[in-house]
Amino acid sequence: MPSLKPLRVSDESQTESVTATITARPWNVIVWDDPVTPMSVVVVIFRKVFGYPNNKATQLMLTVHHEGRAVVWSGPLERAQGYCVKLQVAGLLATIEQDA
Amino acid sequence: MAQRLFVRRRDGRIEVRLNDAARSLAREAFARVLAAEMDPDHEWHASLNAPIDPSHDVDDPLATLSRQHEVTSNVELAIATLGEAYLNDAEAWAWLCTLQVALRATITAKGIMTSERLNEADESTREYLMTLQTFLFALADVM
Repeated sequence: MPSLKPLRVSDESQTESVTATITARPWNVIVWDDPVTPMSVVVVIFRKVFGYPNNKATQLMLTVHHEGRAVVWSGPLERAQGYCVKLQVAGLLATIEQDA
Repeated sequence: MAQRLFVRRRDGRIEVRLNDAARSLAREAFARVLAAEMDPDHEWHASLNAPIDPSHDVDDPLATLSRQHEVTSNVELAIATLGEAYLNDAEAWAWLCTLQVALRATITAKGIMTSERLNEADESTREYLMTLQTFLFALADVM
């Protein structure tokens, strides 16, 4: 078994490590429920914006409907912003948040 | 049996079967979305500029610019094709997006964010929302 030498960790490298961890945390695209948007419209929008198959789009729509919100996509910040914009352009109430 | 408002034809086009009154209502909704996008004082403007990342005071300017551009492109295409008998998929998507933006802007402007508030809304508002929903149901059905 190879011996392990304790590594000397400077404050700077610790900071870099924390920053890297925060940056690596994915961003979630959230869609929020409202009392008027037809369910079938939400399914069409999920299919069109994300290219999801009908069953996945329907399942996400039902999560929004029953739980008030759903994470519909997770990943890098720029793509999350792009998807959020597309959902807002399609008239859905959507936001982004970094994964906890 | 109620007549379908939109019908997918064999050649892939979507036939628009709205009568003059329905087209007029759609025209009004499209025009209001366009006006709201340009006028910061319009009652629908806030809905069209909802936060992308609520944890920050200001959203990425490129993202907000992209949203503005896409909303405007959709509404301009929807207005340009209002008189058409047939829509292609891109035009139908522009109609769907713009009608849905109008639907959400209406409830946001009137503070109707729950089913209870919807039931309490005045009759003309509920009738307007139901008409937009009818268009959206019919359009989603052929997309």
